[in-house]
Amino acid sequence: MRGVESNDTDFLPPDVAFRIAARLDGKVVKIRWVIADGYYLYRSKIDVKAESPDLVVSTPELPAGTVKTDPYLGTQQVFTQQVEAIVPYTRLDAGAHPIQMKVTYQGCAEAGLCYPPITKVVFPTAGSPPVAANVPPYPWESVAIIAGAFAFLLAGLVLRKGRKLDIPT
Amino acid sequence: MSSGGLRYLGAALIVLVGIWLGAKFHLGRHDHDGVAVPAGVASTPHATEDLALQAVEGPQAVVPAKLPDFSLANLAGKSTSIASWNGKSLVINFWATWCAPCQREIPLLKTLATEWADRNLTVVGIAVDHPDKVREFAGRFKIDYPVLVGEQDALDVAGQFGMASPAFPFTVFTDQRGEVVALFVGELHRPQADFILSQVQSLNQDRIQLAEARRAIAQALSAMADKPG
Repeated sequence: MRGVESNDTDFLPPDVAFRIAARLDGKVVKIRWVIADGYYLYRSKIDVKAESPDLVVSTPELPAGTVKTDPYLGTQQVFTQQVEAIVPYTRLDAGAHPIQMKVTYQGCAEAGLCYPPITKVVFPTAGSPPVAANVPPYPWESVAIIAGAFAFLLAGLVLRKGRKLDIPT
Repeated sequence: MSSGGLRYLGAALIVLVGIWLGAKFHLGRHDHDGVAVPAGVASTPHATEDLALQAVEGPQAVVPAKLPDFSLANLAGKSTSIASWNGKSLVINFWATWCAPCQREIPLLKTLATEWADRNLTVVGIAVDHPDKVREFAGRFKIDYPVLVGEQDALDVAGQFGMASPAFPFTVFTDQRGEVVALFVGELHRPQADFILSQVQSLNQDRIQLAEARRAIAQALSAMADKPG
């Protein structure tokens, strides 16, 4: 007998619902979440801790969120669309170790589903796009580029076929 | 048209197809990033063929056709097998104390437990949380249906239903033969619960076949998801 398949794909996987990115910007690390439509992050559930040795992390600075009132959980501030946390830090190792921070956050879908707290270790570097462990890459960017490039190559070949160089003799 | 003109036309066509392919893949990626498909549609073998098209990533979880055997502690700490309720239809609700939609569901689950008690149906809560928190919460919310509780062991049970990395709540409906009739991910509402339970009752009374019930649930809940409220 064929089993019943789950419909959990009706909701986005947490790494897609809440896409996290971090980068170094001087004396702070900026951690940004891009939040899918219909999803939100709890402001009070965002926490950042030092992961690498000899790193001291201050309390993240977060903007005020949107007030959300739930009959059971009461009033909460939540973030939708995107939010950036500014995290001041001090290195006591004179740069001997790469900076790593452990970031915890938690959110839900408006449609009535909540994800357990998510913890990621981020490796922010200056000017780089942020890197977070376990964030799945998307192959479609490269597919799009390759398809476009292939099309132009084919077009070039079609135009070139049969063309004679007009070399003066 | 001259052969030169045809070549230019062909080249333009190839470029357009290439751009269309690239845009299709690129836009498809963003659809997956930002658009949530309708929530709370019960899964059935028939329903998920459409739902699979909306899958975001990774393999689809497979829910067992029959209720798996498992044991978890009850609120008194005593190991309790789900087989304790063999012969009954079950509404197995997975939840956690920190989850707002899980809390919102509890009054409905209490109502269902009362209304369906004389129709051989039991609501069983499975809290994936720390037992002390669950005991306090169950007392505060006056949960009067059986609650099993666990942390990693409860997560393992969730995995047995195909929810290896679960979000909450989700609810499994079985008939009195232990057939899994539906798995509903997300907050359960009265119309959805009523429809699924009507199908469970029809199954228990041998008025419909399992496949037929699953198909009817899928269609009804898809329609409800399309017309919220």
